[in-house]
Amino acid sequence: MEQDFVIVTNNPQVGKDLGKVELVDGSFEDVLIKVRDLVHQGHQLISHPIGASMRMLFSPYRSVLVGAERTQIKEVYSLTIESGIDTFRRSTANRNVDYVNADDYARIDLELLKEAIKEHGIIQREKIQEVQ
Amino acid sequence: MSYKVLYYVNQFFGQVGGEDKAGMAPVMKDEKVGPALGFDQLMGEEAEVVGTIICGDNYFNENNEEAVKFIIDAVSEKNPDLVVAGPAFNAGRYGMACAGVAKVVADELNIPVITGMYGENPGLEIARTKSLVVETNDSAAGMKDALAKMADLAKKMLKGEKLGYPEDEGYFAQGKRLTVFSDKRGSERAVEMLLARFKGEEFKSELPMPVFDRVAPAAAIKDLSKAKIALVTTGGIVPNGNPDRIQSASAQKWGKYNIAGKDSLEGEFYTIHGGYDPVYANELPDRVAPLDMLRKFQKEGLIGEVYEYFYTTTGTGTSVGNAITFGKEIGKELKEAGVDAAILTST
Amino acid sequence: MNLELRKIEIKDVVFGEETGLKEGVLTVCKQDIIDELMEDVNVKSIKVDIAKPGEKTRIIPVKDVIQPRIKVEGKGNGFPGVTSEMVQLGSGKVNVLDGVAVVTIGDIVGFQEGVIDMWGEGAKWTPFSKTLNIVVDIEPVDGLDPHTHEATVRVAGLKAAELIGKAGKEAEASIVDKYEMDDIFTETGKYPDLPKVAYVEMLISQGLLHDGYIYGVNSQKILPTLIHPNEELDGAVISGNCVAACDKITTYQHQNNSAILDLYKRHGKDINFVGVILTPELTTLEGKFRTCDYTAKLCRTLGVDGVVVSEEGYGNPDSDLLMICKRLEDSGIKTVLITDECSGWDGMSQPLADTTPEAVAVVSTGNVSHVVELEPADKVIGSAEAIATLAGGWEGCLQEDGSMVCELNAVIGATSEIGYHNLTVELY
Repeated sequence: MEQDFVIVTNNPQVGKDLGKVELVDGSFEDVLIKVRDLVHQGHQLISHPIGASMRMLFSPYRSVLVGAERTQIKEVYSLTIESGIDTFRRSTANRNVDYVNADDYARIDLELLKEAIKEHGIIQREKIQEVQ
Repeated sequence: MSYKVLYYVNQFFGQVGGEDKAGMAPVMKDEKVGPALGFDQLMGEEAEVVGTIICGDNYFNENNEEAVKFIIDAVSEKNPDLVVAGPAFNAGRYGMACAGVAKVVADELNIPVITGMYGENPGLEIARTKSLVVETNDSAAGMKDALAKMADLAKKMLKGEKLGYPEDEGYFAQGKRLTVFSDKRGSERAVEMLLARFKGEEFKSELPMPVFDRVAPAAAIKDLSKAKIALVTTGGIVPNGNPDRIQSASAQKWGKYNIAGKDSLEGEFYTIHGGYDPVYANELPDRVAPLDMLRKFQKEGLIGEVYEYFYTTTGTGTSVGNAITFGKEIGKELKEAGVDAAILTST
Repeated sequence: MNLELRKIEIKDVVFGEETGLKEGVLTVCKQDIIDELMEDVNVKSIKVDIAKPGEKTRIIPVKDVIQPRIKVEGKGNGFPGVTSEMVQLGSGKVNVLDGVAVVTIGDIVGFQEGVIDMWGEGAKWTPFSKTLNIVVDIEPVDGLDPHTHEATVRVAGLKAAELIGKAGKEAEASIVDKYEMDDIFTETGKYPDLPKVAYVEMLISQGLLHDGYIYGVNSQKILPTLIHPNEELDGAVISGNCVAACDKITTYQHQNNSAILDLYKRHGKDINFVGVILTPELTTLEGKFRTCDYTAKLCRTLGVDGVVVSEEGYGNPDSDLLMICKRLEDSGIKTVLITDECSGWDGMSQPLADTTPEAVAVVSTGNVSHVVELEPADKVIGSAEAIATLAGGWEGCLQEDGSMVCELNAVIGATSEIGYHNLTVELY
């Protein structure tokens, strides 16, 4: 089954064994900006760009799943990534990035990424093979 | 010991002149002028107005740096405990100036500011976050009430008293969300709110959602090479001399100018917009309203033609109400002229 | 279903030779707890301590809080599906050690947070400064993979609560709360004119440290599910959440879910409370769409007139909350949402990550960025690193006299989005 996603990440612990990796040499915010650019070019936004708690916003690392191919620009994807960037900036304006616990954040980001891939796998569209 | 108040008014309320004096540079008078006198009387023993700054509305909006410097110098000379500006009622440029005063005094000098405005004044958006803006009605007929409310608030602020809710005290909510203890836990409040909804009773949501004004986009143009494109701008680009006297902030009108046969706006147009550094726009106004590019596309056959009239106004400080009116009026003309699409530039 | 929660008033907790209860004083045998929990080969060491309201004690980082209980009539002691055998919960009689909480500490990752101050300014912001806390510090053996590490700490905490709960076996209850609710049709037959109300409880379900469990089933694996309120009150739902200190639903808060309790109080009087829908907050957008559609469909299928929706967490779950709200309101079902907000230090920022005009009735349980000042503690139960993480939030967090400023999002239960605590936000 062909893989239909790309992992946009700055997490050094994310390996190619999980899939195609678009490595971003930069910060959490840089990862979000890269995702935004891809979404504006028509890539599907698969996983939500930000986490589920304030704590996870202080992580130095972030991994997001986007579609591998350019399909169609959809409003819900652009709105979600744009508001994700906005939320990130507002919530971290006064905070330091938590580099002290960088390794732990890298591990947890990796775990959450794996779950996202699994979740996505549930509704991955199968390519129907022609019966010979 | 009575507190010291420094008061700011525009050229009109400062009794210097009308629209003709809107360009006057700021002066500081030791006397209490206009509303400053009324305010001083309302404050009684508790505070005294120690000076009145009078500044032209156009001057403040067009020479922001100099105006701000004047305010800073005036404050350090008079050392007030409170700065009061306006009330500006619905006067847009005056409101923008009051907002400018509030911004510099609050942010850089850390002194509290009180002003007064009508709900639609374009200066409200910034003023409310930097000062307490008392709600006034839309004309100077409301001066007495406005000053009374402003004085009440001033007395409380100077004494360090805790203010009540904005709706009770008569000022516009600043947008500050304060976390406090309630006598009921969250789930109990939620159940009560749901019951109120069932009964059709009034309830107050604790987290109001912002309402966004949505405009449905028109259908896309099928064949651009045949389309008639109009050029419209809120960048304040007008013919040399500004013959129709379009305001540089808080515009009250829009202008329409024939550009048939012109390949660019250079040399004949300039900017009167008070919200950006004019140097590059004056050099080449097409940087703000790109007629030169549209002509290029026309010659290359990318677009059909450029509509012969160019529409312009100033965006900064223009009230939402006026903007809606201008948009509808200009839109109607463009539609009647068979224009297919408009390029609208802003700054 | 018919459930009785029999509250035994506990006035004090002390360590002693034997775990037992006499005249409102709970005695806890430290060694018994240590021995029992050390039976798990993955546990390296156990420390037990007590923190009482008013003491200048700080507990940090808190993983979970659990209420000690024992089922005295009916099946399902402990936490079926997790620490004990699978049994249908929601009926029977349960003795509850009222006023006591088992608090587990022991971080799986260095950035875990969650502080409980038992005195002073900090105490106001957490409901668990008022409980007699038995603090269990669980250290697993080295080299465990993170999932096993988390499970070890989680299960050990639940077992400790079970063990301590046994002390209440013979005790007299001072208050007996009865929860009786038949099937939906019978109840509707009794109260045909009352508006039907469901409670949608959202749970963070995104992976390690971001989990919830229903009868031991990880909530990431489920479709939105109907559950009888008695089941949750009886221990069917437990917390695997280690990240959102201020608004995570601790196991204690599941056992005492305030939204369920407040809706139950009105059942048969102002409303017909039809049930609880547990909704997972997933990571992928498709997952969110599926979950929100499904939740709204379940509500419509139940024929409800109104829904109370609570969230867990902040950030991407805001999308789910508002999508559920919009779908319900568009179907003509009235909603009230319970959520916290992040409006910045000055309270001036946009409070939610997302907005929708249909959310006309919202209860705000507080600004997670509200800054509080914590005085220096005489005693700290927990890890110094966690304090350093808390203090490393931004320049100037830690003051010279040892006091700290921190945001509410680090305080356990401060902005509970099931409305457990009593914070609100006012606009000035």
